[in-house]
Amino acid sequence: MDRLIKLELGRLNAHLPRNRVSLREALASPNPGVNTLDGSRHVFKREELRFLAGLLPEDRWDELRLPILISFEHGLGRGAAKIKGNVETWIAGKILGKEADGEMVIYRPEVLLLRRKLPTTTQYVFR
Amino acid sequence: MATNLTAPPTRMELIKLKRRIDLAQRGHDLLREKMDALVMEFFDVLRRIQDSKRVAIEQLHKAHQALSECFAEIGTIETLESARETIRDARLEISSRHVMGISVPMIEDVEMKRDALARGYGLHTTSSALDESAREFELALKLLIRYAELEASAFAIAKELEKTRRRVNALEYILIPRLERTIKFISMRLDEMERENFTRLKRIKAILEERR
Repeated sequence: MDRLIKLELGRLNAHLPRNRVSLREALASPNPGVNTLDGSRHVFKREELRFLAGLLPEDRWDELRLPILISFEHGLGRGAAKIKGNVETWIAGKILGKEADGEMVIYRPEVLLLRRKLPTTTQYVFR
Repeated sequence: MATNLTAPPTRMELIKLKRRIDLAQRGHDLLREKMDALVMEFFDVLRRIQDSKRVAIEQLHKAHQALSECFAEIGTIETLESARETIRDARLEISSRHVMGISVPMIEDVEMKRDALARGYGLHTTSSALDESAREFELALKLLIRYAELEASAFAIAKELEKTRRRVNALEYILIPRLERTIKFISMRLDEMERENFTRLKRIKAILEERR
Protein backbone atom coordinates (compact mmCIF):
# COMPACT_ATOMS: atom_id res chain seq x y z
CA MET A 1 0.00 0.00 0.00
CA ASP A 2 2.85 2.39 0.87
CA ARG A 3 4.43 1.68 -2.49
CA LEU A 4 1.15 2.53 -4.20
CA ILE A 5 0.87 5.82 -2.33
CA LYS A 6 4.50 6.69 -3.19
CA LEU A 7 3.81 5.80 -6.82
CA GLU A 8 0.70 7.97 -6.81
CA LEU A 9 2.62 10.86 -5.26
CA GLY A 10 5.30 10.45 -7.92
CA ARG A 11 2.69 10.48 -10.68
CA LEU A 12 1.15 13.70 -9.36
CA ASN A 13 4.01 15.73 -10.81
CA ALA A 14 4.75 13.70 -13.93
CA HIS A 15 3.34 16.49 -16.09
CA LEU A 16 5.98 18.97 -14.97
CA PRO A 17 8.46 20.27 -17.55
CA ARG A 18 11.98 18.88 -17.78
CA ASN A 19 13.26 22.37 -18.54
CA ARG A 20 11.42 25.66 -18.51
CA VAL A 21 11.81 28.05 -21.43
CA SER A 22 11.95 31.82 -21.43
CA LEU A 23 9.16 33.88 -22.95
CA ARG A 24 11.57 35.09 -25.65
CA GLU A 25 12.49 31.50 -26.60
CA ALA A 26 8.83 30.48 -26.65
CA LEU A 27 7.87 33.42 -28.85
CA ALA A 28 10.69 32.64 -31.28
CA SER A 29 9.92 28.92 -31.45
CA PRO A 30 7.75 27.59 -34.32
CA ASN A 31 6.29 25.02 -31.92
CA PRO A 32 6.38 26.67 -28.49
CA GLY A 33 6.22 24.21 -25.62
CA VAL A 34 8.18 22.08 -23.19
CA ASN A 35 8.93 18.39 -22.79
CA THR A 36 7.44 16.93 -19.65
CA LEU A 37 8.91 14.45 -17.16
CA ASP A 38 6.66 11.66 -18.49
CA GLY A 39 8.10 12.17 -21.97
CA SER A 40 5.18 13.94 -23.61
CA ARG A 41 5.06 17.49 -24.92
CA HIS A 42 3.08 20.35 -23.47
CA VAL A 43 2.36 23.07 -26.01
CA PHE A 44 1.79 26.75 -25.27
CA LYS A 45 -0.92 28.70 -27.05
CA ARG A 46 0.56 31.49 -29.17
CA GLU A 47 -2.34 33.72 -28.20
CA GLU A 48 -1.29 33.40 -24.54
CA LEU A 49 2.35 34.07 -25.34
CA ARG A 50 1.32 37.22 -27.16
CA PHE A 51 -0.78 38.23 -24.13
CA LEU A 52 2.23 37.74 -21.82
CA ALA A 53 4.48 39.64 -24.23
CA GLY A 54 2.06 42.55 -24.13
CA LEU A 55 1.99 42.50 -20.34
CA LEU A 56 5.74 42.30 -19.74
CA PRO A 57 8.31 44.87 -20.98
CA GLU A 58 10.52 43.36 -23.70
CA ASP A 59 13.74 43.64 -21.68
CA ARG A 60 12.27 41.19 -19.12
CA TRP A 61 11.18 38.49 -21.60
CA ASP A 62 14.29 36.43 -20.80
CA GLU A 63 13.52 36.46 -17.09
CA LEU A 64 10.07 34.90 -17.36
CA ARG A 65 10.39 31.11 -17.35
CA LEU A 66 7.45 29.18 -18.72
CA PRO A 67 5.30 27.48 -17.62
CA ILE A 68 4.61 29.49 -14.47
CA LEU A 69 4.32 27.00 -11.59
CA ILE A 70 1.35 27.18 -9.22
CA SER A 71 2.41 25.12 -6.27
CA PHE A 72 -0.02 23.40 -3.89
CA GLU A 73 2.09 22.58 -0.86
CA HIS A 74 1.39 20.18 1.97
CA GLY A 75 0.81 22.29 5.05
CA LEU A 76 -0.12 25.46 3.18
CA GLY A 77 -3.82 24.84 3.78
CA ARG A 78 -6.59 23.59 1.55
CA GLY A 79 -7.06 25.67 -1.59
CA ALA A 80 -3.99 27.84 -1.04
CA ALA A 81 -1.19 27.85 -3.59
CA LYS A 82 2.17 29.52 -3.96
CA ILE A 83 3.88 31.20 -6.91
CA LYS A 84 7.61 31.86 -6.76
CA GLY A 85 9.91 34.04 -8.82
CA ASN A 86 10.09 37.80 -9.30
CA VAL A 87 8.71 38.01 -12.83
CA GLU A 88 6.26 35.16 -12.31
CA THR A 89 4.70 36.83 -9.26
CA TRP A 90 4.76 40.18 -11.07
CA ILE A 91 2.71 38.67 -13.91
CA ALA A 92 0.31 36.96 -11.47
CA GLY A 93 0.01 40.19 -9.48
CA LYS A 94 -0.76 42.15 -12.64
CA ILE A 95 -3.53 39.72 -13.62
CA LEU A 96 -4.98 39.40 -10.12
CA GLY A 97 -4.45 43.01 -9.06
CA LYS A 98 -2.25 42.02 -6.10
CA GLU A 99 1.07 43.16 -4.69
CA ALA A 100 3.96 40.84 -5.56
CA ASP A 101 7.42 40.43 -4.08
CA GLY A 102 9.10 37.25 -5.25
CA GLU A 103 6.65 34.91 -3.50
CA MET A 104 2.90 35.05 -3.54
CA VAL A 105 0.20 32.97 -1.87
CA ILE A 106 -3.02 32.83 -3.82
CA TYR A 107 -6.35 31.21 -3.07
CA ARG A 108 -8.75 29.08 -5.10
CA PRO A 109 -10.78 31.85 -6.85
CA GLU A 110 -7.51 33.53 -7.78
CA VAL A 111 -6.05 30.26 -9.06
CA LEU A 112 -9.14 29.87 -11.22
CA LEU A 113 -8.79 33.40 -12.58
CA LEU A 114 -5.12 32.87 -13.36
CA ARG A 115 -5.79 29.52 -15.04
CA ARG A 116 -8.56 31.08 -17.12
CA LYS A 117 -6.16 33.74 -18.41
CA LEU A 118 -3.18 31.42 -18.80
CA PRO A 119 -4.40 27.81 -19.28
CA THR A 120 -1.29 26.54 -21.10
CA THR A 121 1.44 28.76 -19.68
CA THR A 122 0.71 27.80 -16.07
CA GLN A 123 1.07 24.37 -14.48
CA TYR A 124 0.11 22.89 -11.13
CA VAL A 125 2.76 21.42 -8.82
CA PHE A 126 1.90 19.25 -5.81
CA ARG A 127 4.51 19.18 -3.04
CA MET B 1 -14.48 -1.99 10.07
CA ALA B 2 -11.44 -4.22 10.09
CA THR B 3 -8.49 -3.47 12.33
CA ASN B 4 -5.15 -5.12 11.88
CA LEU B 5 -5.18 -7.05 15.21
CA THR B 6 -2.44 -9.36 13.97
CA ALA B 7 0.08 -6.53 14.04
CA PRO B 8 2.65 -7.28 16.75
CA PRO B 9 2.07 -4.87 19.65
CA THR B 10 5.61 -3.56 19.79
CA ARG B 11 7.09 -0.07 19.91
CA MET B 12 8.88 -0.70 16.60
CA GLU B 13 5.58 -1.56 14.91
CA LEU B 14 4.02 1.55 16.42
CA ILE B 15 6.79 3.75 14.95
CA LYS B 16 6.39 2.03 11.57
CA LEU B 17 2.62 2.58 11.60
CA LYS B 18 3.03 6.24 12.55
CA ARG B 19 5.34 6.70 9.55
CA ARG B 20 2.80 4.95 7.31
CA ILE B 21 -0.06 7.13 8.52
CA ASP B 22 2.04 10.26 7.90
CA LEU B 23 2.66 9.13 4.32
CA ALA B 24 -1.01 8.24 3.83
CA GLN B 25 -2.08 11.59 5.25
CA ARG B 26 0.32 13.45 2.96
CA GLY B 27 -0.90 11.45 -0.03
CA HIS B 28 -4.48 12.16 0.94
CA ASP B 29 -3.89 15.92 1.30
CA LEU B 30 -2.12 16.22 -2.05
CA LEU B 31 -4.65 14.06 -3.88
CA ARG B 32 -7.45 16.12 -2.37
CA GLU B 33 -5.74 19.27 -3.64
CA LYS B 34 -5.52 17.65 -7.05
CA MET B 35 -9.19 16.71 -6.87
CA ASP B 36 -10.16 20.28 -5.91
CA ALA B 37 -8.11 21.66 -8.79
CA LEU B 38 -9.70 19.17 -11.19
CA VAL B 39 -13.20 20.14 -10.03
CA MET B 40 -12.30 23.78 -10.62
CA GLU B 41 -10.96 23.04 -14.10
CA PHE B 42 -13.95 20.84 -14.90
CA PHE B 43 -16.53 23.48 -14.01
CA ASP B 44 -14.59 26.11 -15.91
CA VAL B 45 -14.55 23.90 -19.01
CA LEU B 46 -18.30 23.23 -18.56
CA ARG B 47 -18.98 26.96 -18.47
CA ARG B 48 -16.94 27.43 -21.65
CA ILE B 49 -18.75 24.49 -23.27
CA GLN B 50 -22.11 26.14 -22.61
CA ASP B 51 -20.95 29.43 -24.17
CA SER B 52 -19.33 27.66 -27.09
CA LYS B 53 -22.42 25.50 -27.72
CA ARG B 54 -24.73 28.51 -27.70
CA VAL B 55 -22.54 30.43 -30.17
CA ALA B 56 -22.15 27.36 -32.44
CA ILE B 57 -25.92 26.74 -32.50
CA GLU B 58 -26.61 30.40 -33.33
CA GLN B 59 -24.10 30.24 -36.17
CA LEU B 60 -25.58 26.96 -37.47
CA HIS B 61 -29.00 28.59 -37.45
CA LYS B 62 -27.60 31.48 -39.48
CA ALA B 63 -25.90 29.08 -41.88
CA HIS B 64 -29.12 27.09 -42.44
CA GLN B 65 -30.97 30.32 -43.12
CA ALA B 66 -28.36 31.27 -45.71
CA LEU B 67 -28.69 27.78 -47.24
CA SER B 68 -32.47 28.15 -47.49
CA GLU B 69 -31.99 31.46 -49.30
CA CYS B 70 -29.52 29.75 -51.62
CA PHE B 71 -32.04 26.93 -52.35
CA ALA B 72 -34.63 29.57 -53.19
CA GLU B 73 -32.28 31.53 -55.43
CA ILE B 74 -30.41 28.92 -57.48
CA GLY B 75 -32.50 25.83 -56.78
CA THR B 76 -32.04 22.70 -54.68
CA ILE B 77 -30.51 20.48 -57.36
CA GLU B 78 -27.94 23.07 -58.43
CA THR B 79 -26.98 23.71 -54.80
CA LEU B 80 -26.57 19.99 -54.09
CA GLU B 81 -24.50 19.55 -57.26
CA SER B 82 -22.23 22.41 -56.22
CA ALA B 83 -21.92 20.86 -52.76
CA ARG B 84 -20.77 17.59 -54.39
CA GLU B 85 -18.09 19.46 -56.34
CA THR B 86 -16.79 21.23 -53.25
CA ILE B 87 -13.32 20.26 -52.02
CA ARG B 88 -13.69 18.61 -48.62
CA ASP B 89 -10.40 19.56 -47.10
CA ALA B 90 -9.76 21.04 -43.69
CA ARG B 91 -6.35 21.37 -42.08
CA LEU B 92 -6.08 21.47 -38.31
CA GLU B 93 -3.09 21.78 -36.05
CA ILE B 94 -3.89 19.51 -33.11
CA SER B 95 -1.49 19.42 -30.18
CA SER B 96 -1.98 18.71 -26.51
CA ARG B 97 -1.72 20.54 -23.25
CA HIS B 98 -1.50 19.02 -19.81
CA VAL B 99 -3.89 19.64 -16.98
CA MET B 100 -2.34 17.84 -13.99
CA GLY B 101 -1.05 14.97 -16.04
CA ILE B 102 -4.14 14.66 -18.23
CA SER B 103 -3.43 15.24 -21.85
CA VAL B 104 -6.22 17.36 -23.34
CA PRO B 105 -6.43 18.27 -27.02
CA MET B 106 -5.57 21.77 -28.11
CA ILE B 107 -6.49 23.08 -31.54
CA GLU B 108 -4.78 26.29 -32.46
CA ASP B 109 -5.51 28.91 -35.10
CA VAL B 110 -8.47 27.12 -36.64
CA GLU B 111 -9.09 28.78 -39.98
CA MET B 112 -11.86 27.26 -42.05
CA LYS B 113 -12.60 30.32 -44.18
CA ARG B 114 -11.79 29.86 -47.87
CA ASP B 115 -12.29 32.11 -50.84
CA ALA B 116 -14.86 31.13 -53.48
CA LEU B 117 -12.18 29.75 -55.86
CA ALA B 118 -10.65 27.50 -53.22
CA ARG B 119 -14.01 25.85 -52.53
CA GLY B 120 -13.94 24.08 -55.87
CA TYR B 121 -17.44 24.58 -57.28
CA GLY B 122 -18.07 26.30 -60.60
CA LEU B 123 -18.63 30.00 -60.26
CA HIS B 124 -20.51 30.53 -63.52
CA THR B 125 -23.43 28.25 -62.53
CA THR B 126 -23.81 29.53 -58.96
CA SER B 127 -24.57 32.84 -57.27
CA SER B 128 -23.33 34.88 -54.34
CA ALA B 129 -26.05 33.25 -52.18
CA LEU B 130 -24.09 29.98 -52.35
CA ASP B 131 -20.86 31.78 -51.42
CA GLU B 132 -22.61 33.40 -48.49
CA SER B 133 -24.05 30.08 -47.34
CA ALA B 134 -20.63 28.37 -47.64
CA ARG B 135 -19.03 31.20 -45.67
CA GLU B 136 -21.56 30.82 -42.86
CA PHE B 137 -21.05 27.02 -42.73
CA GLU B 138 -17.26 27.46 -42.65
CA LEU B 139 -17.65 29.75 -39.65
CA ALA B 140 -20.01 27.23 -38.02
CA LEU B 141 -17.45 24.46 -38.60
CA LYS B 142 -14.78 26.53 -36.89
CA LEU B 143 -17.05 27.00 -33.86
CA LEU B 144 -17.98 23.31 -33.80
CA ILE B 145 -14.28 22.36 -33.77
CA ARG B 146 -13.75 24.65 -30.76
CA TYR B 147 -16.77 23.01 -29.11
CA ALA B 148 -15.39 19.53 -29.80
CA GLU B 149 -12.03 20.51 -28.30
CA LEU B 150 -13.74 21.65 -25.10
CA GLU B 151 -15.96 18.58 -24.92
CA ALA B 152 -12.98 16.24 -25.30
CA SER B 153 -11.22 18.18 -22.52
CA ALA B 154 -14.25 17.85 -20.25
CA PHE B 155 -14.42 14.07 -20.82
CA ALA B 156 -10.72 13.63 -20.06
CA ILE B 157 -10.91 15.77 -16.92
CA ALA B 158 -14.07 14.01 -15.70
CA LYS B 159 -12.43 10.60 -16.11
CA GLU B 160 -9.36 11.66 -14.13
CA LEU B 161 -11.57 13.33 -11.53
CA GLU B 162 -13.43 10.09 -10.92
CA LYS B 163 -10.18 8.15 -10.52
CA THR B 164 -8.74 10.72 -8.13
CA ARG B 165 -11.95 10.85 -6.09
CA ARG B 166 -11.87 7.08 -5.66
CA ARG B 167 -8.29 7.23 -4.40
CA VAL B 168 -9.02 10.10 -2.01
CA ASN B 169 -12.01 8.21 -0.63
CA ALA B 170 -10.01 4.98 -0.25
CA LEU B 171 -7.40 6.84 1.77
CA GLU B 172 -9.89 8.90 3.75
CA TYR B 173 -12.44 6.23 4.61
CA ILE B 174 -10.48 2.97 4.54
CA LEU B 175 -6.71 3.18 4.86
CA ILE B 176 -6.25 6.08 7.28
CA PRO B 177 -9.03 4.97 9.72
CA ARG B 178 -7.66 1.41 9.62
CA LEU B 179 -4.15 2.61 10.45
CA GLU B 180 -5.53 4.85 13.20
CA ARG B 181 -7.41 1.92 14.75
CA THR B 182 -4.33 -0.30 14.60
CA ILE B 183 -2.22 2.44 16.21
CA LYS B 184 -4.83 2.81 18.92
CA PHE B 185 -4.92 -0.97 19.46
CA ILE B 186 -1.12 -1.19 19.75
CA SER B 187 -0.91 1.84 22.06
CA MET B 188 -3.59 0.37 24.32
CA ARG B 189 -1.90 -3.03 24.27
CA LEU B 190 1.47 -1.46 25.15
CA ASP B 191 -0.14 0.52 28.00
CA GLU B 192 -1.80 -2.66 29.21
CA MET B 193 1.51 -4.52 29.10
CA GLU B 194 3.14 -1.72 31.07
CA ARG B 195 0.40 -1.88 33.67
CA GLU B 196 0.75 -5.68 33.87
CA ASN B 197 4.50 -5.35 34.37
CA PHE B 198 4.02 -2.73 37.03
CA THR B 199 1.54 -4.93 38.93
CA ARG B 200 3.81 -7.96 38.54
CA LEU B 201 6.78 -6.06 39.93
CA LYS B 202 4.73 -4.79 42.84
CA ARG B 203 3.54 -8.32 43.58
CA ILE B 204 7.10 -9.71 43.42
CA LYS B 205 8.28 -6.92 45.72
CA ALA B 206 5.51 -7.77 48.19
CA ILE B 207 6.39 -11.51 48.14
CA LEU B 208 10.09 -10.73 48.68
CA GLU B 209 9.25 -8.46 51.62
CA GLU B 210 7.03 -11.19 53.17
CA ARG B 211 9.90 -13.69 52.93
CA ARG B 212 12.31 -11.39 54.79
